[in-house]
Amino acid sequence: MKVSRRDLLLGSAGVAAGLVFTPVPWKLLGDASIWTQNWPWIPQPAHGPIETKQSVCTLCAAGCGIRVRMAAGWPVGVSGVSTHPLTKGALCPLAFAAQQLNWHPQRLREVRHRGRAASWADAKAAFEKACSEGPVAIVDGRPGRAASSVFEAFAAKHTGSYQVVLGPENRALLPYAEWSGVPVCALGYDLENARTVVSFGASLLDGWGTPGRFTRLWSKRAAGQMDPPLRLIQIEPSLSRTAARAWRWVPVKEGSEAALAAGLARVLIEERLTSTKGPVPPMTLAEASTQTGLSIEEIRDLARTIAANRPAVVITPDANPAVAALNVLLGAVGASGGIVLRGKRRAASTIPGPANNSLRAVLIDATVPWEYVPQSDAEVFRFAAWDGGNSKADWLLPAPGFLEELTDLPTEPTSAVETYAIAVNLLTPGAEIKSATQFLAQIDGSLPEIEKVIHARCEELFKSRAGTVFAAKAVAVAQSESAQKLEEQLRGGGVWMNDAPRSGSLPCTLKQWPTDAAKSRALDWASLWAPAVLPPLAGKLYQESNLREAPARRSA
Amino acid sequence: MLVTAFLLEPKLGTKGTIVRRNLLVFLSGIALALVAGWAVFPKVLYVQKDQPLDFYHKTHGEKSGLATCDSCHVVAANGEFSGIPRSEVCAGCHTEKLGTTEAEDILVLDYLKQGKEMPWLVYSRQPANVWFSHAIHTRRGGLACTECHGSYGESDQQRVYEQNRISGYSRDIWGHSISRLRRAPHDGMKMTDCESCHRRRHIEVGCFGCHQ
Repeated sequence: MKVSRRDLLLGSAGVAAGLVFTPVPWKLLGDASIWTQNWPWIPQPAHGPIETKQSVCTLCAAGCGIRVRMAAGWPVGVSGVSTHPLTKGALCPLAFAAQQLNWHPQRLREVRHRGRAASWADAKAAFEKACSEGPVAIVDGRPGRAASSVFEAFAAKHTGSYQVVLGPENRALLPYAEWSGVPVCALGYDLENARTVVSFGASLLDGWGTPGRFTRLWSKRAAGQMDPPLRLIQIEPSLSRTAARAWRWVPVKEGSEAALAAGLARVLIEERLTSTKGPVPPMTLAEASTQTGLSIEEIRDLARTIAANRPAVVITPDANPAVAALNVLLGAVGASGGIVLRGKRRAASTIPGPANNSLRAVLIDATVPWEYVPQSDAEVFRFAAWDGGNSKADWLLPAPGFLEELTDLPTEPTSAVETYAIAVNLLTPGAEIKSATQFLAQIDGSLPEIEKVIHARCEELFKSRAGTVFAAKAVAVAQSESAQKLEEQLRGGGVWMNDAPRSGSLPCTLKQWPTDAAKSRALDWASLWAPAVLPPLAGKLYQESNLREAPARRSA
Repeated sequence: MLVTAFLLEPKLGTKGTIVRRNLLVFLSGIALALVAGWAVFPKVLYVQKDQPLDFYHKTHGEKSGLATCDSCHVVAANGEFSGIPRSEVCAGCHTEKLGTTEAEDILVLDYLKQGKEMPWLVYSRQPANVWFSHAIHTRRGGLACTECHGSYGESDQQRVYEQNRISGYSRDIWGHSISRLRRAPHDGMKMTDCESCHRRRHIEVGCFGCHQ
């Protein structure tokens, strides 16, 4: 029998029709969809024993307590620690998804020299050459760490300079540091004792300071109450997440925060609503009204409300002396519920060194914000765990990522009390990853070791006999068995917290009303994140969930 | 015979003959597809893989006094499930060879003495995007192990591990019936199986219950 073309077509049609009544197309469709979920380049969690380790988040200076769920030694989930004295279990979306960061496509895994692959030996040779030719500068983004002391030591030994790039929350405290003569790292906000918090654009409920500190406070003492014991007044042009939840939202024209502060100060002085003497702002109430878009009566009412609900503290998102002066007038500097002196710990020292134009090299630590560009023609060595793009640095050097480096965390910029925590390296980075301190140690073997510096700091804490260590349970340092035990607790994810801050010891003199007004910029939880790299889950968490405290949960 | 008669008996060239021939070819195609789809496809789709050694649950239950599943598959006090026991658990009894079988040689010499973990192929391994708590299902839900895993704990021979060539998952996830019809209650561990069990028990967990 001859098989014709018609037979082939009919047979094929029969096969096609028959296949519909078999599992073939349906099973293949399902399996193919699963196959696409398992591309070889998608990182899969390893299979192995599951354990939970407690540590401290190092992604920003807040140092939130984290509980890391690990499978076969790899982090697969991050959650908050309810016993942490500041965060009380809260985390920002970035920390919740931080386990994804080390596998981010923009993770730096090779040394790059002006966009091309290079080696650590090349980078070391180039830095050594620069050191031999002239002075170098080390730039640190988070002063006060053990690594900072290594940088300082290197700068001191190699005729270099140690420079600090302060974050916006630290910069916001600079005017008080200047007026009182106290280092900025010794100042903090005593929000727990404040009755009114006046925020000039600071995102207090959206990532400002330590996530959880103010949100818990607000949840407990303000959320859902008509006459709350804690009044949050948000002065901001747009209805931000913080403004939407504030007790009162005062919409002002963009960039008119200083004018409103001057107007409020005028009312406080004219109506004798404050006993603190201070300079009279040069701006009249009518001018303030024109600039802010508020009526004179609205400004008067706001000033009276603030004065009637003291202790009141004014918070700015960045350095803004023209607004910060309000705190001096309100008597909030050095007072309970205001700007307080949180301790005597060493100030972030800077070694000025030579002028920037004579520098041969600038080494930038991974903690420095990505957009920082040194004002120098020197060769720039930029450490970073993630490539934020458009780098102007000559050398991009891959630094340890999330949980890949032993580091310590001094007090968070806005905290009212001193804290100290240690984040151990739960992961071991590959040989292609090096921190700035490891890089410098290869050049100068006599530099202090991070391990030893941390050990010495724990001994110092133990000898001080002050404060409490919050680990599995809270233990006063005075009752600690030994410095070694204290260090073990801190390495296990505990946090040391000093006793309550002292107040009334911050003499602040203001000779004339400052006119140096910076434009306030609202900051959210991602603003302080050095490179503009986010784990995929972080954006989803932020957009599709509400990681802020809702009124219904305030009793939790 | 019937097919031959159907095909050859009629006189060639007539219209009825052509129609009948065409019909026969079409039906043959269908028959071919049905045979290939139901009988050949499952054998091609799954590849059989060997476990590192033969393991008999029944032997361990009867001879070693490991009568219950949680003798080796432990749910810890904090709810974490040990899953397949690690080599150190096996080493608790098998520090030295306890028999003369080939499996005993492999266990002791190739793995325990060398401190290596056995690369077991897990029949019920779920995708990485699934969060499943044994503690919740057994303690709070009161489910017996057999309700999901069948009577494998009483088996006296090693089951063949079959892996889907495309998805890479074990055949136990889809179930042994390729049509998923007339299955045993524990046959299949797909999301729809979880959903139907939850629906039957009126326990709603939503998407994030498992896909956290």
